[in-house]
Amino acid sequence: MNGRERILAMLAGDTPDHLPFMPFTMMFAADHAGARYLEYCTDERVHAEAQLQVTRAYDIDHVSVTSDPCCEAADCGAAVKYFPDQPAAIDEARPLLSNRETLRALKPPSPSEAPRMRSRLALIERMKREAGAEKLVEGWVEGPCAEAADLRGLNQLMLDFFDAPEFIGEIFEFTLGMALEFGRAQIAAGADLIGVGDAAASLIGPEFYQQFVWPYEKRLIEGLQAAGGRTRLHICGNTRPLLGAMGRLGSDIVDLDSLAPLDEARAQMGAGQVLLGNLDPVRVLRDGTPASVYAAVAACHRQAGARFIVGAGCEVPRDTPPENLRAMARYAREHSSAAARA
Amino acid sequence: MTTLESMRQAIIGGQAVRTRELTAQALAEGLSPAEVFPGAIVPAMDEVGRRMRACEFFIPQVLIAARAARAAMELLRPLLVDSTVLPAAGKVVCCTVQGDLHDIGKNIVIMMLESAGFGIVDLGTDVAPAQLVEAVRQHHPELVAMSALLTTTMVNMRSAITALEAAGLRGSVKIMVGGALVSQGWADEIGADGYGADAPAAVALARRLVAH
Repeated sequence: MNGRERILAMLAGDTPDHLPFMPFTMMFAADHAGARYLEYCTDERVHAEAQLQVTRAYDIDHVSVTSDPCCEAADCGAAVKYFPDQPAAIDEARPLLSNRETLRALKPPSPSEAPRMRSRLALIERMKREAGAEKLVEGWVEGPCAEAADLRGLNQLMLDFFDAPEFIGEIFEFTLGMALEFGRAQIAAGADLIGVGDAAASLIGPEFYQQFVWPYEKRLIEGLQAAGGRTRLHICGNTRPLLGAMGRLGSDIVDLDSLAPLDEARAQMGAGQVLLGNLDPVRVLRDGTPASVYAAVAACHRQAGARFIVGAGCEVPRDTPPENLRAMARYAREHSSAAARA
Repeated sequence: MTTLESMRQAIIGGQAVRTRELTAQALAEGLSPAEVFPGAIVPAMDEVGRRMRACEFFIPQVLIAARAARAAMELLRPLLVDSTVLPAAGKVVCCTVQGDLHDIGKNIVIMMLESAGFGIVDLGTDVAPAQLVEAVRQHHPELVAMSALLTTTMVNMRSAITALEAAGLRGSVKIMVGGALVSQGWADEIGADGYGADAPAAVALARRLVAH
């Protein structure tokens, strides 16, 4: 099996030859290819080449378009700060929707015309062309809550949950619509799977999550699946209080950050949910040894059981020792999707 | 229920307007700012911190509580400035480090430090070591609090400490660090004086560092 076949077999409920391996490599990939991160974020040729190099060097089963969370917001006109060699970031001090009324006049960008979205579509086409037969191609959209935070400002959005709950609905409708259109365009361009990153959702607690965010994440995931894509839900941060609700979204993969125990996720999401994760990226993956990393992946596998994909809890840090990432790949290669024995 | 007890409940519930009214009422009843501050704001925000750590409160609840506490402080602060009865807990220069624009963690720490009686100099985000050095020179704080969310920017905490050392200012301040990926091990490695895992921990740490 190649990487694409391996992941698709796992998602179809079949038994792949061994565990799939799907870590996020962003800055690690750029460094591996000798590229400056700004070019990785803004030049699809650099990005594609770096992904191809790093995934082939480390037996990673997919290539990914993720680079920074600002793609959609930048195309909406948000103030984004670009750095020479680290991810772009939203300028929180100058949010696009500092005035709630501004939302009414905001038009979602067209994926085929807006510069960063268009570049991502070109990246997917390139990766599909160059590696689509061997690697699964992963597109990406920001989830409704994360994108709303990018547009409104995270600090202000958190207050809006109390001050203007009706606005939360309005802005989530906007971000959902944009994510669906962008996600469908990525699927049409060749993405096999769409990652949904909804980082801000981990900050609001289970009640607001269930009331406000979950319905929009559900519609997003169902919409992407209806368009022929698989989905990978990733919410950065401590999602422990949200696990049950996340499991009811129906995402093909739930990719957990390291603060949420996989055994709790398995207990709350049931035996059928494919779980991905979730080594502590810094304290375990970057700062550990190959032996400790291998043992930590084994512990994740024991907790997650059979329906499991090897990965870190979030992005592989750029200064991770190569032998540590290889230890993860080796664990995946040496284990089937049967649950590891304690 | 006494006015101070009502104030505490209003702050915990994030009722800024009600908190302001109760603060004015407490002052009208003859309570001094030096009684209102430690009698209502400090214990209310300590309770908010406790609920946050117990996963009973999340960021929206913490932010509206802090906003209510600020509403009280707006009335009290002018009176406290003239008061020698309640000395400030200490002065803290706060920032996110160079290259890091993620400020919600810093902002929450600031609000909770303020509510614990600390004076704050907020340098904002993406603060270069030279800016930090200048602020320490200008404001003479007891503490410097630095935040970073990313592994790529965490390293700039070390640069900031090095710059303070080079400027001969390291001995005059205690340095505390925080952020999602920061750890006690990292704080030790870069020569910081302490690490706060979350906002309540940062307040406890600040109190401890100032006391020593």
